[in-house]
Amino acid sequence: MKAPSYGQISAACLLLSLFTGFVVAYQYEVAAPFVSTTAIEAVLPFGWFWRSLHFWTSQGFVIMLCLHCFDTWKGLESENRRRTVRIHWTVISAVIPLAILALFSGYVLRYDGTGQAAGAIAEHLLLDVPWIGNGLNRFFMAVSTEGLNRLYAVHILAGCLCWLLGTWYHTRTVRMGYEAFVASSLAFLVFCMFVRAPIDLPQGHLHLIQGPWFFLGIQELLRHFDPLAAGIVFPLIPIFTVAVLPWLRKRQAAYLLLLVWTFAYAGITLVGILRTG
Amino acid sequence: MKRRNLLKNALLWLLGALVSWPLFAFIHKKRYRPPREIRISRKIRPGEFVVEPEFVLFQTESGPMAVSRTCTHLGCRINYLEEKKMFLCPCHQSRFAHTGRYISGPAKKDLARFEVTPMEDGQGFTVYLPA
Repeated sequence: MKAPSYGQISAACLLLSLFTGFVVAYQYEVAAPFVSTTAIEAVLPFGWFWRSLHFWTSQGFVIMLCLHCFDTWKGLESENRRRTVRIHWTVISAVIPLAILALFSGYVLRYDGTGQAAGAIAEHLLLDVPWIGNGLNRFFMAVSTEGLNRLYAVHILAGCLCWLLGTWYHTRTVRMGYEAFVASSLAFLVFCMFVRAPIDLPQGHLHLIQGPWFFLGIQELLRHFDPLAAGIVFPLIPIFTVAVLPWLRKRQAAYLLLLVWTFAYAGITLVGILRTG
Repeated sequence: MKRRNLLKNALLWLLGALVSWPLFAFIHKKRYRPPREIRISRKIRPGEFVVEPEFVLFQTESGPMAVSRTCTHLGCRINYLEEKKMFLCPCHQSRFAHTGRYISGPAKKDLARFEVTPMEDGQGFTVYLPA
């Protein structure tokens, strides 16, 4: 059997994540997010398993999606002349920020110490965006005024949009493959039987809260730079670059920018991981 | 672009704007939330304090003082370190004196203070949180 590709694994992860997301939603309560999450984790039968599967397949989806994106640049080089290919690439690249939004909102929705801090920071970052910041906050977050209602809606919307965009683009072009799906799913099922999804106490961190792994670099930058530059502009650089990639005549500079950004972000993230207080 | 296409595109954009406006207005509307009163039903002697989710209430020689626990940098809930008599933000390590005065870190601004009044029976305090 051929090993599943990054694209196949990311598709399997997304399907599993959506399914387990709906399973977990049956017992999740927006009005009591932390209590219901701990109840799912510790009280309800097999709650820990569904939560773990939802958490890890979502992580898997984002990681595999980025690798899949990197993997398909080769194809872009040979097909880039067609206008439709360029439009498709730009539209489908929206899946990356949507996937990160779904993942990030998932962290906030559990509303433990990390989730509460992540929600407050995201809200303040959006409000720092000139002119449209308030509107963006009202649409995506508004945690301080509306609780988690809006974020929950956005979490579901972002996940479904990832699935819709992915399906729209890949229908009639690639096949998932039964074996690839079963193999990926089995690997995650076994993994989640042994590794639980993290959760911490709302007041569990006196000196240091470390955000989600993909947010650690931004968290570190926010200690030293202006919130708009560190929390909005800097993370938008790779997303914008990937979206405009097929429209550029000479891509060497864009590839170099992405490479430098990735290494720089990995370095800053490492500083964030090593921080003790 | 032909005139017919131009008109068609313009019509579509107009239709989009017409549909977007009610959606934007609906989502953007803020529900009114009144100011809140938090009652602390216990006596606090000078030098003592009470930690609540949204503020820390201190009793000082000059009277009660409620200092917000919301960091002025990016809104994280900050913690009061009793042994150092200061607030520390666990997100980006901004530091504030127990009075709410900014000491160091990326926050740059002092913490907010809330209005406090003693209860009529003298058995506690009422803290007023703005809307």
